[in-house]
This record gives sequence, structure tokens and C-alpha cells, in this order.
Amino acid sequence: MGHLSNDEFFAKLVELFDSAKGKDHGSIVLTQKRLSYDQPLPEATDDTLPSDLHPPQPLPILIRVTNGKGKEARKAKKKIKLSTVVGPDALPAFFERYAEICKQGMGSLKPRDRSKRKGKAKKKSKAAVTTTTA
Amino acid sequence: MPYYETSQEWLRQSALLLEARPSTTRITTTYHLTDKTGSSKKRQKRRQQQLQTATTTTTTTTTTASSAAPRASLTIKTYDPHSGTCLKYRTTKAAEVSRLILSLGQLGRKMAALPTDTDAVMVDAGVAEEVGTPGVEKTEGSGSASGNAGAKGQTQTQPPAQTQGQGQTGGGGGKGKKKRGKK
Repeated sequence: MGHLSNDEFFAKLVELFDSAKGKDHGSIVLTQKRLSYDQPLPEATDDTLPSDLHPPQPLPILIRVTNGKGKEARKAKKKIKLSTVVGPDALPAFFERYAEICKQGMGSLKPRDRSKRKGKAKKKSKAAVTTTTA
Repeated sequence: MPYYETSQEWLRQSALLLEARPSTTRITTTYHLTDKTGSSKKRQKRRQQQLQTATTTTTTTTTTASSAAPRASLTIKTYDPHSGTCLKYRTTKAAEVSRLILSLGQLGRKMAALPTDTDAVMVDAGVAEEVGTPGVEKTEGSGSASGNAGAKGQTQTQPPAQTQGQGQTGGGGGKGKKKRGKK
């Protein structure tokens, strides 16, 4: 499957997060790396320094997303794979939107205020709740 | 490779790794449903046993509790297959998500071999002066300036940030003490 455009990618990512909502297991894997495949990079002129450290022009970034399914699920075509290429100019805008979508999609993480009560003292939590509310 | 205690430390180390190996390093962010923070098998077993006993005694309450709030965790991993370096950070707090993703963006700049944000600010400022459209350019400049502060802070402003984090945990400790005092 080829790469999606950034907009398509975001739309599908929202879908994927929505499908994970309300489930009690599963995972979503987001990966990013420099897109070095098929990119013009000069041959290493110096053996001591690899040529990728200071490329002449900025390179795009490859973003991949899967729903972490493998083997049987792959055969059943339940594995979802999305990928997109972000150009160097589009990076700030992309990550702002990416952060927004992830924040909304990862709703099962602990919300801010609950995290303070929980964690250390589960037994005490009930007493603490009553004292704080009272 | 062990997990880092703070996301700042993870970010700092990841930035260093990306500087050294920009082409091979990848960053994987995994959003696990079900809480895996206590992932040792013993603890999982114990939890299951607790659940089972609980369900036998009070079926309704436990099922509603578990179904109402399926917990999750977010693991963020920087891995370089060439050197085998692996840097990880894990959290369960929703409040950290957007900060972490934005720091992914910062690291993305390094991946893309874009100039560091300090240079970007200089360029932006230069452009703003030349073009003379202060409205648009100024906002851009200020945005990247704040980004610059964050990026530069990897060495400079982050120690304070870390102390803030420690302050928070200290605050947590303080709360514990309060509870004890009340009891």
C-alpha cells in the first residue's frame, strides 16, 4: 500500500483511535523515522564521518501507524497499516495536528486529577476522597 | 534497556542518539489498552486472582468498574538498530500525551536534518525584516522562539523542568503525609 496524503492519514488515524475506544485490550503503534529510501544522499567522501550526518537538504519523515495485529489477524485482514510522508516544511503543522488527534484518541489514559489520588495508596484512597470532598 | 524516569531525560538522550545516527534511528510510540504498568507476571496473576475472587463475591461492582475504565499506557521508544541502542519512557497520564507528541515533533526536526530551532528563529527573524509583513511573520517567529526555548532547554531549561517534576512528586509525598496526619 502506498503512502497516504497527510489529510487522508489523519482521517484514518482518527478512525483507528475511534475503533479502539471502549475496548479493553489492543494497542496502536505509531512510528516515525527519516525517509532515507530512494533519497539522494552523497557518497561518503570521508570514511570517518558517515554521509547521513549532514545531508545537503532536509529529508522527509516517514510516519507509520499499525493496530499491532499480526499473524492470524493479518490473514483475516484485520491488520491496519497506515503510512504517510511528511515533508520538512510541513513538520510543525503536522505534529500539532498529530498531537491533537493523539490526545483525543488516547482517552483511556488516566485523567489528570484522578492520577493524584490513585497510585500510591489504594486503601487510603477512599478515606482521602471523603476528606477532600468533605 | 531500562525505562527513563522522566520524559525530559528520555528526550535529551533521544536527541543525542538522533544526532549520532539520524538515518537509522526510529521512534515508536505505543498506546496499549489495559494497564501494563505492573507488568510482572506475578502481579498480573495476583490481579487476576483478585478479580476472580471479587467477581465471585460481588459480580456487578467489579465488572462495571473494569468496563467503565479500561486503563491504558503509553510507551515511547527510541531505537537504533545499528548500535542497538534503545531508550524508553512509559506513562499512564493523559496530561503528558500532547507534550510527548510535540517532543516527537522536535525530534522529527532532527530526523529531517532541519536546522535546529535556534537557526530557524534567526531565519524567521531575517525573513520578517525583509518581507515586512509583521502580522504573520511575527507569530511564526514567536512560535518558533518558544519552540527554540524548548529545544535549547534540552541542556539549559530542562534542569528546572526536572526540578519541577521532582517538586510535583515531592508534592505527592506531601499529600501522603497529610493523609497520615488526618488519620
